[in-house]
Formats: sequence, structure tokens, C-alpha cells
Amino acid sequence: MKIPFSWLKEHTPIEKTTQEVADDLVRLGHEVEGIDMPRAGVQGVRVGLIAEMKPHPDADKLKLLKIDLGDVEHLSIVCGAGNMKAGDKVPVATVGTSLPNGLKIKKGKIRGEISFGMCCSEAELGLAEDADGLLILPQDAPVGEEVGEYLELEEAVLDLDITPNRGDCMSLRGIARDLAADYALPLIEPGDEVVATDDSVAAPKVSVSATDDCPLYTACKIEGVKVSASPDWLQARLIAAGLRPINGVVDVINYTMLDLGQPMHAFDADTLKGDIEVRLAVEGEKFKSLDGKDVSLHTSDLVIADSKHVIALAGIMGSEPTGVTEKTTNIILESAAFKAAKISTTRRTQALVSDSSMRFERGVDPAMIAVAMDQVAQMITGLFGGEVSITTSVGDAEDLVKDKQIKVSMKRIESRLGIDVPESADAVLERMGFGIEHEGDALLFSVPSHRHDVSIVEDISEEYARVIGFDAIPAVMPALATIKPRKLYNAVESAVEQGFVQVINYAFISADEQRLFVADDGKDLVLSNPISEAMGVMRRSAFPGLLNTAKYNMNRQQAGVALVEQGRLYDGPMYERKETNVIAWLMTGDLQDDTWYAKARRADFFDMKGAVEAWLSARGLTARFMADDDAQGLQTGQTAKIFVGKAVVGFIGKVDAEIASGFDLDADVFIASINLDQLHTGKKAKFQPLPEFPSIERDLVFLFDKETTSDAILQTVRKACGQQLVQAHIFDLYAGQGVPEGKVSLGVRFVLQDAKRTLTQEDSDKAMQAVIEAMNKKFEAELRG
Amino acid sequence: MSEIDSLKAQLKSLQDKALGLFAEAADLQALQDLRVNYLGKKGELTSVLKGVGKLPPEERPVIGQFVNATKGVLAEALEKAEQVLAAKASEARIEAERIDVTLAGRKCPQGALHPVQQGLNEMTAIFAQMGFEMAEGPEIEDEFHNFDALNIPQEHPARASHDTFFFNAEGEDEAMLLRTHTSPVQIRAMQACVDAGGEPPLAVVAAGRVYRCDYDVTHSPMFHQVEVFKVDKDVSLANLKGVLQHFLSAYFEKDVPIRLRPHYFPFTEPSAEVDIGCVFCNHKGCRICKGSGWIEVLGSGMIHPNVLKAVGIDSTVYSGFAFGLGVERLVMLKHGIPDLRLFFENDVRFLRRMGA
Repeated sequence: MKIPFSWLKEHTPIEKTTQEVADDLVRLGHEVEGIDMPRAGVQGVRVGLIAEMKPHPDADKLKLLKIDLGDVEHLSIVCGAGNMKAGDKVPVATVGTSLPNGLKIKKGKIRGEISFGMCCSEAELGLAEDADGLLILPQDAPVGEEVGEYLELEEAVLDLDITPNRGDCMSLRGIARDLAADYALPLIEPGDEVVATDDSVAAPKVSVSATDDCPLYTACKIEGVKVSASPDWLQARLIAAGLRPINGVVDVINYTMLDLGQPMHAFDADTLKGDIEVRLAVEGEKFKSLDGKDVSLHTSDLVIADSKHVIALAGIMGSEPTGVTEKTTNIILESAAFKAAKISTTRRTQALVSDSSMRFERGVDPAMIAVAMDQVAQMITGLFGGEVSITTSVGDAEDLVKDKQIKVSMKRIESRLGIDVPESADAVLERMGFGIEHEGDALLFSVPSHRHDVSIVEDISEEYARVIGFDAIPAVMPALATIKPRKLYNAVESAVEQGFVQVINYAFISADEQRLFVADDGKDLVLSNPISEAMGVMRRSAFPGLLNTAKYNMNRQQAGVALVEQGRLYDGPMYERKETNVIAWLMTGDLQDDTWYAKARRADFFDMKGAVEAWLSARGLTARFMADDDAQGLQTGQTAKIFVGKAVVGFIGKVDAEIASGFDLDADVFIASINLDQLHTGKKAKFQPLPEFPSIERDLVFLFDKETTSDAILQTVRKACGQQLVQAHIFDLYAGQGVPEGKVSLGVRFVLQDAKRTLTQEDSDKAMQAVIEAMNKKFEAELRG
Repeated sequence: MSEIDSLKAQLKSLQDKALGLFAEAADLQALQDLRVNYLGKKGELTSVLKGVGKLPPEERPVIGQFVNATKGVLAEALEKAEQVLAAKASEARIEAERIDVTLAGRKCPQGALHPVQQGLNEMTAIFAQMGFEMAEGPEIEDEFHNFDALNIPQEHPARASHDTFFFNAEGEDEAMLLRTHTSPVQIRAMQACVDAGGEPPLAVVAAGRVYRCDYDVTHSPMFHQVEVFKVDKDVSLANLKGVLQHFLSAYFEKDVPIRLRPHYFPFTEPSAEVDIGCVFCNHKGCRICKGSGWIEVLGSGMIHPNVLKAVGIDSTVYSGFAFGLGVERLVMLKHGIPDLRLFFENDVRFLRRMGA
């Protein structure tokens, strides 16, 4: 809502500056989004008296002026205009001023004479397209004053964001009322002059069937109007308030809506057939709106109709054929009360918004229905002529404007606010139109018709908080019970410690990218109003997001990336939807640059696996990895399921090369994902005495078939060695010269130890013999030299 | 010359020669060889001693003393020479091992926590320390939890301003949507408490992703919120101010002035928008706070009785405050990040810089 400051002052005699008023509005709960000064460009231009005028010695057309600006010394200015004389008052731009046309005033020398400024024309002040000569100001213009202020050019416009509960503040009068109450100034009531009616003009006939949704409908007719453009001052105000002038009648209605808050409508009376009816629409009924849309109506829509057509969607918009144009001579004016919820429903279902609907939805003061009607009728007849009928009124006007009575406990208000309410607050509230009576602890609170938003004790406490000011309320820490400490585990943090960069991707991806890793099983959750197709479905895999992030970074000269993301996956169908917390990794490209101690190395499967193992280990978990050749989007032979205990908790693998190159990723891409909801936290670490006796380390190297997995080998090793085996791992892996085709040479290192005694050479020989036999038996593996 | 004088002369010249050789020894090995040559079992001193047998018995102790003295002198000289050489060798080794300490150290891979995650962690930790319990809720919500229970009925104008993402209907009873704020967790936490037969006090903090169908320079369709509420007997607006003051000063790590401005939210009454003294200009007024010295950071208020009613809590007995804050906004203010989009572009250079 744009509030031109001079207009506001017509409603209450404010003497503060715009900035002060803006600050006070904020305190009262009206957000000020900005203060516009549409013509601030004339700042520095002052009223100057031409004290002396002489011809320029070297130029016929130039004059030497001495200008009195009220300062001690007169200013010398060389001027080329011809319409001024000594004793005239003119706008003078002093040195340093920038004019609206961009001209910056500097000290200059014109044909040998120094000039300290410039006398301005209307064009130079931005007041006219072009001008002939200087703007000569009236003789009573005060010398030295800013011309902008004198001519009221510097109209400030406050841009307010009115909250949806304060429909009463969507007008100049509403804002003025809050300010007047705060400043203890009078709120100037609209004129009580009543428009003269003419009995020869027949009042419109109106019937209302939807009385719940339209508790009051009033209409009058004006005959013999000559519609023309509205006067300049009115157009200027509409423009300043952000509305476009249309024609005289429409402009007057809009002006009054801004002024008093009551939206009205005017029909071209000659386009109507029969009487006016306010009713609910018939399903499928047609309506062509003023802005040219063809609308099919529902039974929930409240409409104004004549005997043939729907002529307006109540409170939102009139129909195109019945609108007032420059050709209209007879008009019907409507001023009515419509139920907020009804207007809101139609606005939403028909997607039609107007300045009128914005107000009705938020609640309009019914007390203005008659006042606005009168103001509009007077302005129209005053500006464009015509005779006015008496006003037809259907509904109970008096009932609508009755105050609401609320009885509440003052203690309760004070306990909610956390302070004692000072008596001074009552006076402010009374000036806002509330009625206040205290009876002991009881507060009898009466609410005027314009405050739809006040109906319960909390609303009243809010009004008190507003007028007392939130600054006056102390900051008091509440008593807070301590809570049971809970171990908070942040999944992503240990991955970050291992060198991964955490990213946060959108939860929605494109359906096409979903299909890269998730089969089309109809379980996608699809947004009906996505930002774009690329954000159309809820992700069921974190990989498309990670791949896009990898692409973004690799396109920005990164040699490699290691990314981790924690978030949810969303599976349908909707009736059995599931949100799963996962952590997912991606590695591609060089793990680090070439350095003086090592060459760059590209990430491979075991880098990724090591990271996953380290992450699990930080959580106190160990996992087994089992080859999985069926994972969609991942390369056969380089993909595994991750088991913790017997449960599959995730998977790891290499992204199919074609998919990777679809994301412009040339190097191998490895990903992994773990379902956090399925993961129990590991066992608590338990103390074990440190070993007292030394351990023995032994190595054995075997030739295995290439297909033999290290997992199977180590399992067999553990069985063969029994309790004395502390650790066994593969320390060497070799295939190539000296190793037969299809075989692989694999070294196992054993650490043996006994808790009760020092192991002997014999003990370890025995264990090694058992291993050799087991390897032979299980894998036909031969011991190498 | 008597036998004894000749022996003495022999020892003297042996000693002189040895001392000369010791001083010239090039390294520890040469010195070791000299030790063997002179002091070893088959060394020269021993061979001189062999001549002692020819001496009359009364003279033997005299020459014995002399030999021992020589031995002592040689041993001491050897010791000294060894020390000198050892020191030299050590110096040489140290010099040989000199490195360029300015070369880069071996790199540990450098990870980074996303700045939004850091913000979430810091914020929830402050509230957890204050005694608020953590809660979570689904991101795919129904209209009841996201709107109706929060006193935003279907026809409410505030509902339109929420720019809600909806899901394609599949014959569901009601439309499903992506939560537009974390406030539905407030409803779920209160419901869970009431359903379990419990009653307030309740003090809860909930954090997570929220979604708005709005995408431009200053809006992201997905962002994060932290929701905080407390319900108890006699919870007041003054308590809300106390918690806000503590939280904002703790998060920004300095005493920031706060200002509450009356506002309107359907789910609170009274409602207030909360400003902090601009952290860029220390409340003096700058370009970022548009000269006002204040920056809006969050919305707050006293929980509307209709909200308590929706979950079955008696609003004549209990009252509560609630507020919700935009995580990205606070992180941007704290770290001077100029553009919201940086958070979701995930440029690792930005993330590493902010995560360090």
C-alpha cells in the first residue's frame, strides 16, 4: 500500500517528518518497505529573487543577474532566458545541485563573466516536457526556501506492507487512524454533506438471495454523466499511490477506495437488463471479466447479475460489457459488504485478483459503505455532472456497524505479556476506536466495526503490546527444565574429517535423472507445480544431485572432487510414502595434485571403500562388502552391497561410464550410499587388558585362482588359525611375470598371540601348517617359494 | 744407557708418535685402528712391556708406573680425539640432512562442513544447551499440519503467500505438499505429547529443510529453518524476548541489540518480527540495513490459542511462545555471504573457504 504523505495529512494534521512517521508506523506494526521521493531530483534548487539585472557586456542574449537567496551575499549568475525582470522570483539551482535531467551545476565562466549557478525553467526541473523561459514563481514565494518544498514537488510516498489481518489499514484513513491515536491528534471525519438526490431518477431495484455472503448491498443511479478524464490532481494522486488512471468515473471510485477503504463498482446502466440480483453462480455459468478473461463459474462463486448475465464477480471484478467507458452516460454505483471468506475462495479458485478483492478478503469497514457512496456520487456529479437517485439498500446496515463486546481478565493479558499494563495504554486504544471499561480484574472491551481482527483475549493483548511498544517489554529468561542428554550423532561430520566436502542439493530432481539409478516403477513422488521439469520429482537417489555438483565443480578447473551429502530420499506412492535419511559420497578425478613427494593419483574403488570403512569405523561399525552385479547405473564388477551384520545398509560402486560422461565427467566416478535409518550405532567400546606376551608375525604367499576373493581367503584363514590369530591381512598382491595365466600371487600376513603364554616357533609352525592345508583343500592354492 | 732409561726413552717416543697420529686421525674408524695399534693386546705398548722382563725386579714397579702413565695419557688423548671426531661426524650428518623446511607438508585431504550445516549445528546446540529438546518431522506434509492446525484455514490470505509446492493428487483425501516451514513439527510435537497422555511443559527445537515455490536472486525453492517453541503455564512475551536475546547474542558471538516489531502471523498472537542491530555497521546504519541500523532476522510470537486448541492443549491453562528462523539468512549475516544461491551451487572453492 502506497501512502502519499500529503494525502495522509488530509486525514490527520501530522507535523512530524516522513522518516519519523515511518519509524512510528514500524513500531505500530506496519512494515515500511521504503520511502519513495519520486521528484527528489530538485533538491538544492531554491527560491531566488532577481535583485539586479544587467546586460552581458559581450553577448546580446545573455543577462548578468544578482540573485538574492536570503544569504549575506548575492549570487552572480549569467542567464540566457528572456522572460524575467528584476524583482521576479525564480528557481535557482546552486553550485553542486544535480537536476532531474542529469545536469550538474558547476561554477562556470560564460563569455568572461563568472556564473555561480543556474536559473531554471519548468523543463529543467522535470515539471514539463519543454518550456519557454524561466519558471517565474509567485511573488509570495519565500526567498531561500527549497523550491521542491514550496511547490510540494518533493512528495514522499510511504510504501507499506499491510499485514493480512489489518484490512482496515488498506486505506489512507486507516493508516491515519492508527497514527492519530498514537499522536493524540484528531482523525478528520469525511465531510457530512449529503449529495442532493433527484426523485426523477429511478433508484436501481436490487434483490439479494445470498444474504449470508452479502449482508448489505447498496446501489444508486446517476443519469446524464459526461465521462471524461479525471483532473490532474486526482490522476497524480492515483499514480503516486500506484494505480493507473482509467477514466473519470473509475478513477473517482479508485480514489475513494484508497481514501476510505471501501471498494465500489460502477456499471454502465444502459448495458444492464432488468433488475440487479446478488446470488450464487450457477455451475458452468459464463463471465467475461474486465481484464478480458473468460471465466466459467462455480456454485461457490458469489455474483452480481442482471436478469440475463452475470455482471460482476462480487467484490473482485466487473464484467467487460457492463464496464463504464468514456461513452457511458448513465451509471449504477455499487457499495456493498461481502463476506471475506467468500471473496477469498473465488479469488483462489478463479485466480482473479484485484485491489478490491485484496481489501474484501482482509475485511472492510462496513461503516464506510454509505460514506464512500456519498463521496463518490458527489465527486462524479461535481466533476462530470449528472443527477443522482436515492440509494437502494438491502440488508441491515446498523447491525453491521455494531461494536463487538468482549469480556476478559486483565490478569491474563498481563501474564501473557509479562508486564503490568500502564493506564496510558487505554487512552491510545480508545483513540483507535476501542471502548474500555475496567471492573476489578475484568476488562470490558468493545471492538469497532473496522477491527475484524480483534475477537479474543490474545488479540487484545496484542493491541496492548502494540501501543505499549515491544521495547517496553523486558527480556526475561523462562525457567527451562533440563532435558535428558541425548547423544547427537552428526553423520556428515566424520566424512568431512576424512576429507570430503559437504554439499546440499535440492530434494527435487528431473524424472530423467531419477531414471538413471531408479527403475520406473511408478513410485516417484511428482510435484504438480515444480519450478521447472529439472526439479519435477522428489529424489529417490542422492546420486544425480552429486553428479551434477561434480559436473559443476569439474567444469570449474577442479582436478578432482570428494563430496558427501546427508539428506533424505523420498519414495512413493503417496499413501505409503517414506522419507529415508541417507549419507552419500562421490569421488572422481585426482585425489590430489602432483606434489614434490608424490604424483597425482586418480580415485579408484578402494579409495571410496576406504572412506566408507573409515566412516563406519568412526561409528563403531564394521561392514562386509559383497559384489553386486545388478545395481542400476553402476558398473558390473565394480559394485558391492554393504552389509552390517546381516542387513544391507547401502551400496558402493563405479558409475556407468556413459552416465558419467553424460555429466561431462571423464574420470571414473565412484559413489556410495548408506541408509542412516537402518544403521544402529555401534557397540560401546569395552575395556580389554593389554596383551602381556609378545606376538609373532608370519607371512605366507600362495598362488590362487584369480576369481578367489580376499574375503573368502581371510575367512578360511581365521577358521584355520583359531583363537591365536590376532590379525590377518593381504600384504602383497601380484599378477604378471612369473605367475601363471589365470592365477594371482597373494601374500597373507599373520599376527599370532596368546593371552596366557609366549608362543613358540612350534606353535606358529603348527598354525601356518594348518593354513597351508586349508588353502590347499579349499582353494587348491599352492604355497609359493 | 741403562736398560731402564732406554725403555723410558722408547715409551716417550712411542707416546709422542701416537699423540701425533691421534691428532691426525681422519675419522672414528682410523682412531679405532690406532687404539688397537697402541693399546690393544698386540699393540705397541704391550710389546714395549715385553722388555720389562729383562729389568731387575726392583726396577720393574718404576717402569710399570711409567707404562701405566703413558697408557693413561694415550687413552685420554684417544677419548678426546674421539669426541672431537664424533662431534664433527654429527655435524656433518646434520648438515647432510638439512632440508627445505619451507616445502609444503604432506597433505591430508581437506574436507569442509557446509556453512548451512555449521549454522544448523551451532543454532541447535545453543537451544539444546538452553534445555530445548530436539524434534523432527516429515518434509512431505498434509494441509492439516502445515496450515489448518496452525490457524491458516483454506481461505486465509496468508495461505496464498506461502508459495506451496503440491504433489500430484492420487485420489488422496487431501492434497499433500512440501512443508513451507518447520512449524508443522510444532504441531506434531505437541500432538505426540498429548497423545501419549502427557501435558506441558514442552520446550522443543526442530530444524530442517523447507520448501517454497519461489526461485530468484533472493529466494531458493529449498532452504532451512529452525523452529523453537515452549508451552507451559505462564509463558509470556517477556520470556520470548529473553530467549531471543540469549540466542541471538550467542549465535552472533556478541551482544546484539534486538527489536521486536508488531506484526501478523496467523499462528501467533501477539506476533512480532524480530530485528537485530545491523551486524555489518554495528547498528550505525549502512547500505545493507538501508541506513536503519536494523536487520530483520525472524518471526515470532505467542502461540495462538487456536493452535493449542487444534492439538488439544487448554489455552486457558497453558500459553507458549514460538519462533522460526531462516538458517541461510542468519549464516549470511554472520559470515557476510552476499548471495543465497552460493549455498546450493555447492562450489567446492566456496565450501572449503567457509568450512575451514
